[in-house]
Amino acid sequence: MIGNIEVRGLTRTFHTTVRRPGFAGALRSLVNPERVAKHAVSDITFDVAAGELLALLGPNGAGKSTTIKMLTGILTPTSGEARVAGVVPYRERERNARNIGAVFGQRTQLWWDLPVRESFAILRDIYDVPEAEHAARLREFDELLGLSSFSDTRVRHLSLGQRVRCDLAAALLHDPPVVFLDEPTIGMDVVVKEQVREFLRHQVAERGRTVLLTTHDMTEVERLAERVVLVNHGRLVLDGTLDEIRRTFGSTWQVRATLADPHTPVGPLPGIALIRRDGPQVVFGPDGPAAPTVHQALKQVIERYEVTGVAVDEADLEDVMRTAYAQAEAV
Amino acid sequence: MPVNAVRTAWRITCLNFRAQLEYRTEFLMNIAIGAIWQVSVIVFATVLLTRFTGMGGWDTSDVLLIPATRMLAHGLFVLFLGRVHGLGRSIQEGRIDAYLLRPMPVYRQVQLQYFPTNAIGDLTVAMGLMVGALGRSHLDWTAGRISYLIAAILGGLLLEAALFTAVASASLRFPAADYWGRWLEELLGTFGSYPLNVLPRAVGGLLTYGLPLAFVAYFPAAVLTGHGHTTGAPYWLAAASPLVGLVAYLLSRFLWRWSLGHYTGVNG
Repeated sequence: MIGNIEVRGLTRTFHTTVRRPGFAGALRSLVNPERVAKHAVSDITFDVAAGELLALLGPNGAGKSTTIKMLTGILTPTSGEARVAGVVPYRERERNARNIGAVFGQRTQLWWDLPVRESFAILRDIYDVPEAEHAARLREFDELLGLSSFSDTRVRHLSLGQRVRCDLAAALLHDPPVVFLDEPTIGMDVVVKEQVREFLRHQVAERGRTVLLTTHDMTEVERLAERVVLVNHGRLVLDGTLDEIRRTFGSTWQVRATLADPHTPVGPLPGIALIRRDGPQVVFGPDGPAAPTVHQALKQVIERYEVTGVAVDEADLEDVMRTAYAQAEAV
Repeated sequence: MPVNAVRTAWRITCLNFRAQLEYRTEFLMNIAIGAIWQVSVIVFATVLLTRFTGMGGWDTSDVLLIPATRMLAHGLFVLFLGRVHGLGRSIQEGRIDAYLLRPMPVYRQVQLQYFPTNAIGDLTVAMGLMVGALGRSHLDWTAGRISYLIAAILGGLLLEAALFTAVASASLRFPAADYWGRWLEELLGTFGSYPLNVLPRAVGGLLTYGLPLAFVAYFPAAVLTGHGHTTGAPYWLAAASPLVGLVAYLLSRFLWRWSLGHYTGVNG
C-alpha cells in the first residue's frame, strides 16, 4: 500500500563511555574507559496505515526522535526492519527521501541565507517538481499557511512561527505520501498552532497523506490523532486509539447524577462503580480495566435511573498521559 | 553527475553567491580575509626574492613555483570543495540530518551550503603568485610542462580535499576531530611552500609518507624544475603526484560514505 509505514523489531543501540565522578574518576575513564550500551529504541513494532495520522508519544528521551530518524533514513537501526511507502529508508536513503517530508520543529531545513521563495525553488529543482505543479502547490500552501507575506524574507530573519510554516510547506512541496513531524509546533503561539493543526488536518483528510507526529502537546494529539503509540525507555508501552488509552489510563472520570426520587435504590452498573451517595446525589466512577468510556457510562446511568441532572468530570488527555507515563515508568 | 544535478548545483551556487553579495561589507571583508590569510606566503615569497638566491639547492625562481602551485591548488580547493573543512559545527547543529532528508548526495549538499567568498581572495593572491613565478621561471614552458602543471594543481586540490574529507569523515563520528582540520590547515600553510629537502630527513619523510604534503606542490615543482631525482622519494612516485591526489580523493570519498553509513547523529 502506498504511504504505509511498517516497523518490525526496530532497535537502535548507542555505545557510550561511563563518566566516573571526580577528577580521578575522569582520569580512570580516560585510561580504562567503561563502555555501556544504551538502547535508545528497543524492539519496537507498529504499523501506520496509508492516510492515517499517528501520534508517537513519550516523555523526553523515550526514543521518539531516534525512531523518526531511522524511518527517515538519517540513522541506521542496530537491528529490526522498517519500510516506509515500501522502501527501506536506511538502505535507499535518496529513494526514501522522495517519498517523505519531514519537519523537525527545532531545526530548519531551509537555506539560512536565502529568501524563502528561493529555498522553495531550489527544492523544486532537487525533487524535479514540474513548474506548474510547484506553483499550484505553493498557492495552496499560501492559502492555508499564509506564506506570501514573508516569502521574500531570508530564513534567518523569520520568526519561529513563520519559519516552521515555511518548513512545513518545504516538506510537502514534492507531494510526499508520508510526512514525519517531530514536535512541529514547539514554542509557537496559539494562533499559529491552530493554523498548523488545520493545515495538518487538511493534508490527512484531503490529500490522504500518512503522518507520524511526535509532540508533547496533548491538545494537538486530541485534535489530530486517531491512534497513539506510547514509548518509554525505547520500548513500546501501548499502541491504541485515544479511547483505548483513556480506558487504560484515564480512570479518573466521574458521572454525578441527581436522582428524581431520592429513595431509589442505587447499585453498581457493568464496569461502573458507585463511589458515594448523598441523598439524591450519586457519584459513579470506572470499575476495573473493562470500564466503559465516560460517554458510555453516562448513557448507562441515564438509561438505568430517572435523573433530573447529570454532570461529568473527565480527566483531560494531559492527565491521562501523566498517568500513562507514570505507569510506564514503574514497569 | 547528471545534467539536472549540475543545473541544480549551479543554481544553488548562483543563489548563494547573490545572497553573499547582499551583505556588501561582509562580502568585501571575506575577500580581504581570504587574501590576508595568505600573508605568510606573500612574506615568504617577498623575502625569498629579495634576500636569497635560492634554497636547498633550488633557484629562487624554481622555489617560487612551490607556493604558487600550492596556493592555486588551495584556492581552487576552497572554491570547489572547501566546505568539507570545519564540518564539525554543521554536525553539531544537526545540519547533516537535514541533508540526509533530501534526495541529493550529502557531500554535494555540504559543498553547496554557502558560497566561499574568501576563495576570491585566496585565488587572487594565488594567481598573482603564479604569474610572478611563471614570469621569473627560466624553464621552457612546453605544452607538456603546462599540462603537467595543470594536472599538478588539480592533483593538489584533490589531495587537500582528500585530507579534509578524511577529517570530516572522522567528525561525523567524533565532532571534536574538527580540531585536526585546523592543525592540518596550519601544517599545509607552514610547510607547503618550502622545498622539503631543507627539513630534517625524518620530518621530510613524515610530510611525504605520513601526511602526504609533499605531493601537493613540492614533488610536482621538483619534477617540473629538474629536481625530481633529489627529493629523497622515487622519481616515479614524485612524478605521479597528480595521480596520488586523485587516488587519495577517491579513497577519502569511500571513507566518507562508510562514515556516513555509521552516522549516529546528534541529540539522540
